[in-house]
Amino acid sequence: MSLFAFLGTLEIGLVYGLVALGVYLTFRVLDFPDLTVDGSFPMGGAVAATAIVAGVNPWLATGLAVLVGGMCGLVTAFLAVRCGILHLLASILTMIAAFSINIRIMGRPNMALLGEPTIFTAFDNMGLDPLYSHLGVIFLLVLFAAFFVTRLLASDFGLALRATGVNGRMVSAQGGSIGFYTYLGLALSNGLVGFSGALFAQSNSFADVTSGVGTIVVGLAAVILGQTLIPGRRIWVAVVAVIVGSILYRLAVGFALSSGMFGMQASDLNLVTAVLVAIALIAPKMKGKMRLKAVQARRAK
Amino acid sequence: MIHLEDIGVTFNANTILENQALRGISLTVAERQFVTVIGSNGAGKSTLLGAVSGETPISRGRVEIDEVEVTKWPVHRRARYAARVFQNPLAGTCATLTIEENMALAYGRGKRRGWRLALSAKRRRLFQDRIAILGLGLEDRLGDSIGLLSGGQRQAVSLVMATLSDSRLLLLDEHTAALDPRMAAFILKLTNTVVEEFALTVMMVTHSMKDALACGDRTVMLHQGKIVLDVAGEERDQLDVPQLLEMFSKVRGEELADDSLLLG
Repeated sequence: MSLFAFLGTLEIGLVYGLVALGVYLTFRVLDFPDLTVDGSFPMGGAVAATAIVAGVNPWLATGLAVLVGGMCGLVTAFLAVRCGILHLLASILTMIAAFSINIRIMGRPNMALLGEPTIFTAFDNMGLDPLYSHLGVIFLLVLFAAFFVTRLLASDFGLALRATGVNGRMVSAQGGSIGFYTYLGLALSNGLVGFSGALFAQSNSFADVTSGVGTIVVGLAAVILGQTLIPGRRIWVAVVAVIVGSILYRLAVGFALSSGMFGMQASDLNLVTAVLVAIALIAPKMKGKMRLKAVQARRAK
Repeated sequence: MIHLEDIGVTFNANTILENQALRGISLTVAERQFVTVIGSNGAGKSTLLGAVSGETPISRGRVEIDEVEVTKWPVHRRARYAARVFQNPLAGTCATLTIEENMALAYGRGKRRGWRLALSAKRRRLFQDRIAILGLGLEDRLGDSIGLLSGGQRQAVSLVMATLSDSRLLLLDEHTAALDPRMAAFILKLTNTVVEEFALTVMMVTHSMKDALACGDRTVMLHQGKIVLDVAGEERDQLDVPQLLEMFSKVRGEELADDSLLLG
């Protein structure tokens, strides 16, 4: 892998690290499998791109993307909490609706940002090498998001959020509204994903409605890969783990594709990812069973 | 203070499974009173407690806690006024959080949960002091996951957690039923200590007639969703378990086949 490809992979790994953070919040913390991200990721890109083309400051446009992403989460939470729709189904409904809305936002299925100002423009004008400066900006933004999530989960609010996914009855008994934490947890998660979508659009100079396909699986792969390689109960360890997981996932994919291993082509990516996630989900159970069998065999002797 | 007025609870209304769990219960528990609630299975003991905590939706009646009408309030809103300890030790604590994190959650009951750090040095000291009264050595294990503790230890921590917020009402739902006899006795003793020290008003549901008479200062017996016995003061002091049992069989209109079930 060339240095250019390596840095590019690192960059995209970091951008998707935000998706991994969002998926960690829903899938692990809230125990709410949320597929909304497949819609909120391209929506973040669509909102940021449309706003930038309309002349809005790129930082403001990115903030807008975060807000709109968060709103996607609120819609899913509304369907699940208020209307009592099964969480998985509620998130699929939002995801499907988001596809149409994204095309409405942009007025077409995709939008180029070539020549438009982005959050990177100021750094490019300073004469920095874009190869490194873009990576640096994204690294700092992801670092900020990671710190924010870690600190939030250590707060009174975050503690209740964490308990909501494990023992909702207890949270109610301690005066916390499960509905409230589900709303805010989903908004937060999808806000991060919208942020990721906005960064993705600006670093790649385009926004596309189809860019959201499989976002949840990529996020899950990062969370599972990261937490398997870097286990730990502490919050900051988990947060670092899922971001590292996202980078490692991208590196593995980039390596496999660039080396032409097993004659793979770019379109095989989704299949490979799905298989990887399935293995990662099955592996811990198999490990448990094998250990049990080993113990039984020892006892039998 | 709890004030219940003509509480009715019907499960599966208008179906073949219709079950009137509570049929017009009125009960006032005064400030600092310790009421024990007994009754056979299905008499409506836990349903009554659920009507107070908000976990059981009531079909008619009125619930007041500390002179505030809470009839339409959801569980989490009522929680500001009442602490609860459940029968199942797993239900009252969050297994994946540490002991101190569970205590911090309970500390926030009735308060706004914001951006402040859940575990400050000051709070840790408070938690350490409070948990030390258990004498279980847990004050040195605050960072351990609460899932590592035994059921009895978790119930003990739940009781301490109930005192971390400044509500004055404690609802106990057969909180010793899932424990071994030695641990159950310890938890009951601890309950009395805590109630005394924090001047709490208590409603305790129990299936043990012995505990019902040994604890508190008033005993209410439920049968088929109605209050059939309500004793306090001298009358209650003179009651012993066989007498209570006799009353119990009288209201049921039948001799109990096996006393040991209830004497235990």
